[in-house]
Amino acid sequence: MNGKKRNTLSAWVCNIPALAFAGSIVVFPIIYTAYISLTNMNVYHWFDFAVIGFKNYISALSVVDSGFLRALGLTVLWTALNMILQLVIAFVMASLLNIEKLRPRKVYKTLLMFPWAMPGYVSILLWKNGMFNPQFGLLNQWLSGWGSEPVRWLAGDVLAFICCLVVNLWLALPFMIMIMDGALQSVDKSYYENAMLDGAGWFTRQIRLTVPAITPIIAPAVVITLFTTFKQFDVIYLLTQQVGAKTGANIHTVLTYAYENAFVTNNYGFSSAVSIIIFLLLISFALLSKIRRPGNEKNI
Amino acid sequence: MRRIYERAGLILLNIFFIAICFAVLIPILYAVSVSLNGRNSIFGSDFSFIPKTFTLENYRAVIFGQPVLLWLGNTIILAVSSVCISLLAAVPGAYSLSRLRYRGRKTILSGLLMLHSFPAILSMFAIYKLLSPMGLINTKLGLILIYIGTMAIFGLLNLKGYFDSIPIEIEEAARIDGANGRRTIVSVLLPLAKPAIIVTGVMVLIYVWNEYIYAITFMTGESNYTLAAGLYSLQATEMSGSWPIFAAASVVVSLPILIIFFAAQKHMVSGLTAGGVKG
Amino acid sequence: MKRFILFILAITAMLSLPACGGDESGGEGKGLGLVIWHDKEDAVAAALQAELDTLKPDINVRLEKKNGLTEALKMVGNDPKAAPDFYFFAHDKLGVYAEMGILSPITELVDKAALGGFLPMTIEAATYKGAVYQLPIYFETLLFMYNRALMPDDEVPATTEELYSFMASGAGGKYGFIEQHSTAYYSAGWIHGFGGGIVTEDGVPLLDTPETVKALEYHGKFVERMPGESEYATVNTLFREGRAASTIGGPWLVPTARESGIDLGLAPMPVVDETGLPIAPYSGVQGLHVLKVAADNPEKNAAIREVLKLLLNPGIGAAMAKASGCAPALEACYDADDIKNDSLVMMMRQTAEKAVPMPNIPEMDVMWNVVSNLLVDINMRGRDAAEAAADAQKNAWDLIKAMK
Repeated sequence: MNGKKRNTLSAWVCNIPALAFAGSIVVFPIIYTAYISLTNMNVYHWFDFAVIGFKNYISALSVVDSGFLRALGLTVLWTALNMILQLVIAFVMASLLNIEKLRPRKVYKTLLMFPWAMPGYVSILLWKNGMFNPQFGLLNQWLSGWGSEPVRWLAGDVLAFICCLVVNLWLALPFMIMIMDGALQSVDKSYYENAMLDGAGWFTRQIRLTVPAITPIIAPAVVITLFTTFKQFDVIYLLTQQVGAKTGANIHTVLTYAYENAFVTNNYGFSSAVSIIIFLLLISFALLSKIRRPGNEKNI
Repeated sequence: MRRIYERAGLILLNIFFIAICFAVLIPILYAVSVSLNGRNSIFGSDFSFIPKTFTLENYRAVIFGQPVLLWLGNTIILAVSSVCISLLAAVPGAYSLSRLRYRGRKTILSGLLMLHSFPAILSMFAIYKLLSPMGLINTKLGLILIYIGTMAIFGLLNLKGYFDSIPIEIEEAARIDGANGRRTIVSVLLPLAKPAIIVTGVMVLIYVWNEYIYAITFMTGESNYTLAAGLYSLQATEMSGSWPIFAAASVVVSLPILIIFFAAQKHMVSGLTAGGVKG
Repeated sequence: MKRFILFILAITAMLSLPACGGDESGGEGKGLGLVIWHDKEDAVAAALQAELDTLKPDINVRLEKKNGLTEALKMVGNDPKAAPDFYFFAHDKLGVYAEMGILSPITELVDKAALGGFLPMTIEAATYKGAVYQLPIYFETLLFMYNRALMPDDEVPATTEELYSFMASGAGGKYGFIEQHSTAYYSAGWIHGFGGGIVTEDGVPLLDTPETVKALEYHGKFVERMPGESEYATVNTLFREGRAASTIGGPWLVPTARESGIDLGLAPMPVVDETGLPIAPYSGVQGLHVLKVAADNPEKNAAIREVLKLLLNPGIGAAMAKASGCAPALEACYDADDIKNDSLVMMMRQTAEKAVPMPNIPEMDVMWNVVSNLLVDINMRGRDAAEAAADAQKNAWDLIKAMK
């Protein structure tokens, strides 16, 4: 009994530093934003703001219109597609990279990490101007080399969405591959040897053995990627919606929509209320999705 | 016969990876090529990967025309401190989460994970309100605090996942051999978790290296910039459409990360498969 | 070995922490230190710094480049520890900051009579609710530029219809005219040319007025003959590569165009046939703003007055105008020969007489995006102008109401 208590105590002590850091940088802003959302802090009451109750939430509901719901639907689609593609591609790539006789794997791994080594906005600008630009972009130069008509990549809604998806995969896959790779390497190889004796095929082996073995290891990274994807702002905004460089596509995630319809007002009370609403939506989605399915619960 | 198949398979695999790597690198090769191009027609319709007039002028302009070494120094201080402190905080925390069962553990973890979903756009203001009374605005310490805090939950959970995958029997075996608790952790568990620790460290490093929003908001004056913030300030704006220099700067900023990544590869081979089975 | 490395890393971390905690403000010998935030190119900053250095050793003014200046000011604006004493920026944000209460009117710090020496347009731009919040230095506006190789001097259109027929004649497979057509800043000129507007001084959006709708419809016919995309890099490059005969662009386009070997001509804006008014773009006035925390500080007040007084000297306006390719705000600057003979500066001044200063009211902050969306709707998505304008007007009202 006594030992258990001491255990609990020392466990808490071990966790205090990490929790304190996370608490001040992640939790405090949420609490503060919740507080601001109850005040009238805006351009006209920047320093002398007062608590005004839930008025901001009432006006925030005006942002939740058909445009917002469309953006919400698109965000869910965006997140789902991204996650599925990332997991499948990263798994395949990492498995192939771990084939024993592949000698230059270090070189491949390093090259594949390249997209991750640049600040995100630089890469997005490169894609937008270097690849997708209809007048000068590489894609259209190649197309015209083959005698095709130039394509306006970022103008149509569907095509622009696909382009954003490609860029996001390009940006996010290195991280996922690295996580998968690390997880695969920590799986005990003797599992495989046993399974191989049973005569199981590659595919069966992966599904039966590897996937369950790496799931707990990659779970935190996957969950965090899920949230990052959901709240992804830069890719869609910088590629299609930047003021002064809009491309004509009408695609919005909840965040870009909220940015154009709330954050630009400089009304912090109002935008805080919108943020809290989005936050609550996100959490309910997370709860609805399979993060908490029974088998997984003990892993996270 | 089997050997031939294996050979052919390997060759195909190598071709596959070479093709994939090339495809992935196209936008970056584009940047490299722009940065080496002597003529200023960046968006020119006559773009080719091999620059028609080769020049290193843009690199010279970046390295000598901008305080890049100063920015590099700032970035290294921030990155090294953030990585070290993050790991020092996360390793024991993750270990205790993985090995010790105690009340409140599950709630904290899923709770913290949930909170990570808060959109960061508005966090900025709150973080300012938090750091300002402590006098941490426009200091590296303030930025380090932000970076560690942002990555703390991730580090904790990521490491815990790996600790979970290390069979507890290995520890017990060490204990039977007479090692005490702390020594077990330091000499048995940490080496086994080395890949995970390095992966987490690299993750924090890349985050700090590429982060620019906090850096430009909370730091003033070019001499306090990080590389990413300096790069951001070089960005081709309407006034100064200096794309070749921007491209060269992007390459310069990314290079150290790639070197570190390449160097870290060696250590990212699992301690478990390499050492655990043997030991 | 590994532990040794870890140990070294830990030590480095420990050592670096206190070292980086220290702030670097003040310092630099004797004299009172003042800080100016700006986000300008190095040449412009250097011209200003050179002038400010004449106040040494009594007053040390330091220019600090600050990216994301407008957002940062909202945060630190009234924090004496973190706020700068001045910021150097365009006039269009001063309404926001004045309402927030972080700016000091400069009329309290300079001799009122001295303000009479500025071009009236610049003082108008600097005035918000009756108070002057900016000491104007130079201003910029968009100019009609053409490539003499593709558009000879005698073919330069005087009216918009002439411009249209030039575009329709299809100058040898090149674009007759290009602009950033779906960007509020560039299209505002057309709207003004029809007597329409984006927002009134009192914050009333004007997007669904008949004049504005007519302008948007008329403008649409030109857009059909331009490339689909309207962002800066595309438009700029097409012009620089000689694939477009004419454009509307800022002074920043001039040096790059000349470097690319374009025989560049500058002309007055074409006149809209229907109204007889020229295309009247927005103008931006760049100048110095004083923060309230600094002006209220008795130690700094006198020094701030000295700095402002120094900047009333025509020499500095001329130097900075040269560095930026813009036009000085002080009337007296135009007496100097090198300004008088600079065709760019003189054309800028001429255009600026018709130009409309960007609104400086807080409401304008939300209008940029609404107008851009409206232009995209009409120009790129083919929506009916009246219908799209009505929606945009409603959206603008919603956002303006949400500000309070």
